[in-house]
Amino acid sequence: MDTLKEILSSFESEYIENYKPTWLKVKIAHSADLLQVAKALKESGLKTISTVSATDFIEDNRIEMNYFFEDMLNRRNCWLKCDISRELENCKIDSITPLFKGASWHERETFSMFGVKFTGHDDLRPIIISQDYYGKNPFRKDFDWDTHEANTVENINLIADSFKREEAENEKNIDPNSSETVLNWGPTHPASGPIRLKVHCDGEDIIGIDPDIGFVWRALEHLVTKKDFVGAIVAVERLCFMDNINSMLSYAQAVEEIADVQITEFAKWMRVILGEVARISSHMMGMGGFYNAMGLHTVAMWNMDMREFFLDFLESYSGARIATASIEPGGVRYPLQKEMLVELQAALDKFDNTKEDIRAIFVKNPTMRLRASKLGFITEDEVHDYALCGVVARASGVKTDIRIDEPYAAYDKIKMDYVTQENGSSQDRLIQLFQEIEQSVDIIKQAKEHVEQKIQSKEFNPIKDHMVKVPKKLPKGEAISRVEWARGEVLMHLVTDEKAKSPYRLKMKAPSFNNTMMLNHLLKGKTLSDIPLVFGSLYICQGDLDR
Amino acid sequence: MLKILDFFDYAKSESLWMAHFCTGCCSLEMAAAMGPRYDWERYGYMPTPTPRQADILIITGLVTKKMLPALLRTYAQIPEPKYILALGACSFDGGPYNDSLAVIKNPTEILPADVFVAGCPPKPEAIINGMEEIKQKMKKGVPSAASQGGLWKEMKF
Repeated sequence: MDTLKEILSSFESEYIENYKPTWLKVKIAHSADLLQVAKALKESGLKTISTVSATDFIEDNRIEMNYFFEDMLNRRNCWLKCDISRELENCKIDSITPLFKGASWHERETFSMFGVKFTGHDDLRPIIISQDYYGKNPFRKDFDWDTHEANTVENINLIADSFKREEAENEKNIDPNSSETVLNWGPTHPASGPIRLKVHCDGEDIIGIDPDIGFVWRALEHLVTKKDFVGAIVAVERLCFMDNINSMLSYAQAVEEIADVQITEFAKWMRVILGEVARISSHMMGMGGFYNAMGLHTVAMWNMDMREFFLDFLESYSGARIATASIEPGGVRYPLQKEMLVELQAALDKFDNTKEDIRAIFVKNPTMRLRASKLGFITEDEVHDYALCGVVARASGVKTDIRIDEPYAAYDKIKMDYVTQENGSSQDRLIQLFQEIEQSVDIIKQAKEHVEQKIQSKEFNPIKDHMVKVPKKLPKGEAISRVEWARGEVLMHLVTDEKAKSPYRLKMKAPSFNNTMMLNHLLKGKTLSDIPLVFGSLYICQGDLDR
Repeated sequence: MLKILDFFDYAKSESLWMAHFCTGCCSLEMAAAMGPRYDWERYGYMPTPTPRQADILIITGLVTKKMLPALLRTYAQIPEPKYILALGACSFDGGPYNDSLAVIKNPTEILPADVFVAGCPPKPEAIINGMEEIKQKMKKGVPSAASQGGLWKEMKF
């Protein structure tokens, strides 16, 4: 950290401060310095850019850029800020994509939402937003939504027109006598979900892939600004329904940090239990998705059977199977009854009874090994370059896990170690999923035992301890909060205004975005039949891809 | 006595195939309904990868503006008679995304649904119940709502 400070102090800055034990927060005075600073940071070991985010301060007539640089291995991170002008002609900043490949789509996103132009970016097209918002910068505070919304039907026709235009252009550009073609993979492909991959192919061979995303863009980051701090969890948990608990957890931590509220020990342990249950249910769908893409539905059925038991626990706890809304700023939403732990035990037993079968039949499956072990390699360097995280990063052997690196909730009191694989092939990512389920079950067992003990010794009161009060109005401030989500790192950057009742700006960084960025790189030169397998192994959910 | 046309309505209704098309997050509960605990194949439902073989289209929750042309095109590719099941609060009025920039507040005004299933997301039992209601409509030969009207005929897709 001290070396980082030294490097940064050679540039003119407004402040350099320690933010968290693992974070340095710095605001540089001139945006022109950015490229130099980024270069210096990269040379000192911060090889990864988590995300790029903008905040629109309309009253001060400035846009504040936030860059989150990370060193995945050494627990050093840097949060870099700088101001740029808000006027559209001057709203420019140097692109860091030439240095950090992982920034590419994040810069495109910021360009689409706020109209920030990144000079030096080689492919600055709009992304995520639907065609009717092109050039309109929908996340700016002065965007007139009502006027735009007045003619929805025309807007939709505009989108349909743009699809047709694209089709006509392809017809024109591609020589009818060649074997080249542009194939749409999705959004109605059974393995794709709502995403469209524009696959340029020559016969069977893939020349390039251009993912077209945004089919489930709900503008969640904009939606939360219209809700109050508690109501916002409804939007936040819909980041992805497979693991919604950990996304709420991330948001709740950010609010608690700004409100300066300490939650109870019991709530912390409950957050661990709920979070791991959600991780398991997500990973089980992930394993199912992998095999579905290969054409075998049995594992999805087996896993869904097990998953139901974990959902039973969530249902007994919150009354809902999936949309639990069970974590809110101040703790966890509901008290814990004894019967709920019985449900949890039933789920754990079910897993313990089935896991050896799953391991023998599906994880060691020779057909799968033959096919998946030769495809979709991601090297360690690529993990750093493209800012991959979570399952994908650990399958390539990178020891990164926010539960250990930057412990939150009660993870600092839990015995766990990094689970990693070596090769980073598609097969490794499947094995990684299974081993992480096992790890999560182990964590739940530890947490459950601890909670039961403390309830017995009357140190925890499960009926009263679950919540502390968080004020409805928050002071001016900002916070970032990272959690290890099912797919990897979720980083939320929350900004609040004076006496705010609702968030001023919430940036959510979710891992599928970077995973999808990799697709072109991984599949170039392969054949069409490899798309479902590599896509399935990357564990992409369109919910957190589009937000 | 059974008339021959009634027999076809009956036969169709007992093997409902749905176009495998996910527009939103309710598809996760739809997957659970396909799973072993709820097992909707008991009732003769099955997902099919191509709309050309499908009988019904399920609007699984939210529909964004960008998704709508694809949804309408999928619907148009399903052979008659075809029915629509709308899942969740989003397909009725936008649900939790009612204030969102990108989600259509009234997808069923554009593409009218025959049966709505409430919930966010609806439980698998509710989804199966909704499918059963469609079955009844098919048996009686009730014409589908989307064939009667809706904005979709005027839109480009």
